[in-house]
Amino acid sequence: MIERNVARAASGAAYHVRMASASSIQGALTDGVRALGRWLQNWWGIVQLGARLLTLALTPSSYTADYRRALLRHIVLGTAPSLLWFTVLTTLLSLVVIRIVLVTSVSYGLTQYALEMVVRVLVLELIPLTAALFAALRCTIPRAAEVATLRSRGDWDAQAKAGVDPMHLEVLPRVAAGLVCALLLAAISCAVTLLLAYLAVYGFTTAGFDAYTRTVGHVFGPGVALVFGLKIATMALAVALLPVASVLIGPARPQALTSAELQGLVRMFFVILVIEGASLVGNYY
Amino acid sequence: MDEGKPAAPPVRHLELKAALLLVMLVALVSGTALYLMYARGLFEQTQRLVLVVDDSEGVRVGMDMTFSGFPIGRVRRVELSPEGTARILIDVPLKDARWLRTSSMFTLVRSLVGGATLRAYSGVLTDPPLPDGAERKVLVGDTAAELPILVGAARELIANLNKLTAEESSLAASLGNLKTLTDKINGPQGAAGVLLGNDIDPKKIAAALDRVNTLLARVDGMAVKADAQVLGPDGLVAGSRASVAQLNAVLADTRGTLKKVDAVLAEAQAVAGNVREGTTDLGALRGEVDATVRKVESLVDEVNRKWPFAKDAGATELKLK
Repeated sequence: MIERNVARAASGAAYHVRMASASSIQGALTDGVRALGRWLQNWWGIVQLGARLLTLALTPSSYTADYRRALLRHIVLGTAPSLLWFTVLTTLLSLVVIRIVLVTSVSYGLTQYALEMVVRVLVLELIPLTAALFAALRCTIPRAAEVATLRSRGDWDAQAKAGVDPMHLEVLPRVAAGLVCALLLAAISCAVTLLLAYLAVYGFTTAGFDAYTRTVGHVFGPGVALVFGLKIATMALAVALLPVASVLIGPARPQALTSAELQGLVRMFFVILVIEGASLVGNYY
Repeated sequence: MDEGKPAAPPVRHLELKAALLLVMLVALVSGTALYLMYARGLFEQTQRLVLVVDDSEGVRVGMDMTFSGFPIGRVRRVELSPEGTARILIDVPLKDARWLRTSSMFTLVRSLVGGATLRAYSGVLTDPPLPDGAERKVLVGDTAAELPILVGAARELIANLNKLTAEESSLAASLGNLKTLTDKINGPQGAAGVLLGNDIDPKKIAAALDRVNTLLARVDGMAVKADAQVLGPDGLVAGSRASVAQLNAVLADTRGTLKKVDAVLAEAQAVAGNVREGTTDLGALRGEVDATVRKVESLVDEVNRKWPFAKDAGATELKLK
């Protein structure tokens, strides 16, 4: 009798353990689904915000005198201070990489591939990424922090109450400035790199222009050019939109601000990584 | 509205700066796009060249065709023909098409490092230019395809070497035979045993050599005796010497007799000379006699003509008249 009671008690304990583990798995699954739902909801919010901004950008009422002045001001303040430093940085980086590639190719007797490799490595891969990250660090992330400050200080609600759409006045100019900044930095860096590559290979002469042009044309086939253009455009859009959008879709409470900015950074780097991977797949597979 | 704005310093020449930035952006983007289009040859007039090759491996769209190391054409398309061969469609800019002639040759070379290369060769640049849409066969040089052949040949060579150096190979057997041979040469029978192949014949050779030695000793004694008979005081050589002295005396007599014969011959020669001179004088005398006779004859003829009592004098005179 006693043995039977002991056996019953043991089987009851095993039953409770199994039930507890099943409930923990169920809980984890529920949490995972909820997290996935939140993640999808956030991305949907970002997409909605982007669509709204695009609509605003295409609306003529967004270009009244006040809004236009704010837009131009953000473009100038966001882009102009970065131009010189970024050009210097790009020049140095390009010179170092070009020199490394040229010396290595000469030592291996593969000089005929040096120029093509320089154009591929620098212009196609490194420079757009550098331009996007530089634009994010110098322009879009600080502008997103400004928006977060506006929201936390209550200026956002005050503007709304005063009949001014903060999306028009604060968000659209910042996003547009980030977009222009990223595109301009990418264009400048590409031009500087192409020029430096020519000078490094041929020197100060026009004799190599035809061969150089042919090599560049050889690298930029239709597919590669399309991928390159899409890559620069999507990276510019990502660095311009994601930091501000992460701030806006999150709660305006001060204790949640840091989390929103970090989430914005993570989202931005994630999207940049996806774009880079997609461009690699598009170019080389 | 102004209360909501973040405090920021005013920007001087805001619109001008913003316009400059936007113009710069547009100029860079459009300039880059135009340059890329120019680099891709969108603004060039081209003519089409079709190269036919059995295997188009290594040929990529966009790769160059070179002439003397300079790119003069670009592959636009690679397609399969109904016959199953590959057709490489190449655009050649018109300014470079002058290097291609009807006699031009085209090669496709696949190297170990890097891609394949298309090359054009024009030996005779005075030939007619290559027409638009011309179709030519390609000569293929494939380094990678040579490798398996080379590896196969090397493998065959190594197999032959292995066979040659194997335990039961003919080379090993020959070396074994050589070792046996050298052992025999170093043995008691020496090279004679190797040459004759048994142990009895070398003994016979030794006995024969002994007999030859004995024979040589006897020949030596015979030679001594012959020497005495030939070269001794009463030998053959001394007798010969006396005979030679007598022969010399006979020759001296003969020489004197011959001198006398020479004198007789000289005199006979002189007599013959005198006879020749006499004969010459007789010729001259005969000539003189002939001349005299002719004169006499002519004189007689003249006397006969002028003679008044000749029987036919009147007739003669009449004849003359």
